[in-house]
Amino acid sequence: MVDGPVPNQLFEQWRKQFEEGAQAWTRLLSQAPPTTATPDPTAFWRPVLDQGVQTWAKLFAQTPATPELLTQWKQFLDQWIEAWSKVLGQTMGTEQFAKAMGQSLDQFLVTSAPAKKIVDQQIEQALQALNLPSRSQVTAVAKQIVELEDRIERLEDSITAVLRHLANKEPP
Amino acid sequence: MGQERFADVVERFTSGFAADVPAEMIKQWQEEFERGFRRLKNLHEMTVNPAEPKTGQTPRVEVYKRNKSRLYRYESARTHRTPLLFVPNLGISRPYIFDLLPGGSFVEHMTRQGFDFYLLDWGVFGPEDNDLTVEECVVKILPRMAKRVLATSGTDELSVLGYCMGAPISASFVASHPEVPVKNFVNMAGPIDFTKVGLFGLWLSKQNFNVDRFVDTLGAVPADMVKAGFKLLKPTMDLSTNVNLWWNLWNDKYLEGFQALNKWANEYVAFPGEFFRQWVRDFYQDNKLYRGELVMGGRTVRLEHITCPVFVVGAKEDYIAPPACVRALIDAVGSREKEYIELPGGHISLIAGRGAATHCWPKVSGWLAPRS
Repeated sequence: MVDGPVPNQLFEQWRKQFEEGAQAWTRLLSQAPPTTATPDPTAFWRPVLDQGVQTWAKLFAQTPATPELLTQWKQFLDQWIEAWSKVLGQTMGTEQFAKAMGQSLDQFLVTSAPAKKIVDQQIEQALQALNLPSRSQVTAVAKQIVELEDRIERLEDSITAVLRHLANKEPP
Repeated sequence: MGQERFADVVERFTSGFAADVPAEMIKQWQEEFERGFRRLKNLHEMTVNPAEPKTGQTPRVEVYKRNKSRLYRYESARTHRTPLLFVPNLGISRPYIFDLLPGGSFVEHMTRQGFDFYLLDWGVFGPEDNDLTVEECVVKILPRMAKRVLATSGTDELSVLGYCMGAPISASFVASHPEVPVKNFVNMAGPIDFTKVGLFGLWLSKQNFNVDRFVDTLGAVPADMVKAGFKLLKPTMDLSTNVNLWWNLWNDKYLEGFQALNKWANEYVAFPGEFFRQWVRDFYQDNKLYRGELVMGGRTVRLEHITCPVFVVGAKEDYIAPPACVRALIDAVGSREKEYIELPGGHISLIAGRGAATHCWPKVSGWLAPRS
């Protein structure tokens, strides 16, 4: 049977490697000038992954085949996902990433805005030609209904207040 | 047992020497095969004949509606006199997460503890709601909801519980409406100090996000975009969810909970455009609520004006509202009686799942009970 602490030590070692690697990667990303190409994460992680796979292959070869192996494999997967989650979290938490994301979103908005405007206009014209209400007209009606509901409610409140006032005034 | 490989075990099994294998190990393998079989069976069932999860089963009555928003009352044996108004997030997701499944429902827990529970369902917004603002929620919708709670429960005081985005919105309401008799205020995983709000704070900062261009172009925040934002926050979430699903697929009880939670987790709700503009600008970018600079309906919202007992619950691994930004309410309010607790788990762990039922809900109901 497999001793409990061995895989735990292995996980710890793995986690440490990932965390150190993640920090190095984040440092690399944040220090790189904007013109430099993003480092290849596969190349960066390959030695770490190779080492891990070898260790696991050894462990599997030496371990008797009990279903506990599956549990250990699941634990390993969880740790691996968690480690990647940390790596990605650290990268996405950099100012560079936020800036790049903001810029690409801006780019998308700038390019899509005129196209959207043209499409909207054309749809509006087509609906008008077919004598059908456009989305903006339907939306305007919906807004009016909401406003009417609001007014009715205010009236109800006022009437309730007046009735309460009158009830309080009436002699018992 | 020596150092054997799986291939050796198979060899001995096939050669008729199974008697050499310890009985315990054979039993373990049998169990594992059985689990494997059940996994395949459930996977087949899930893909071929997917069952619709029966969420939101606690009986309720609609007591008020305003445009898309609804106020639902979940009646209880009413051991406690003061009713509870629950204010969840607007947009993002549907509120049936709070009443997910029998035995795993926050609403059910609170009603069993004797609280009359009022759930505010903000609704699913369309293009006609794009003019809705945070201010309208605070000065128009919430006061009316509170009024209906008092009228239908026949009490003269109520407790308010804000979850996630519902917490800063309801805190703004409580702070700016001293005439509303709020007896207790609870903040569950609601960001207050937006300088400590984590990744969303960075991504939505003035330098990185042009909210005006965004709203002016798109009109609203479509549900797919809300989904993309939340998925990006934890990109490995889907992977770990699927790994855990496969691991627990043999367990029917787990599967039932998973299907309900998964349905909720993939049903995103759009944000009205003007609401999003004000939310990002005033809360995320200018941190006006915490700084006391927020003005709603002509009234300045100052958190120190909240003087009722306050209970704040943060989650240790919450990456949507990290504990530091939630805890900030404790230092900002003017209450004498205030308490902060930090529980294990993430944002959703406070309101759904086994952890919530054991760690979180009893603490919330336990804190409220003597004060209600």
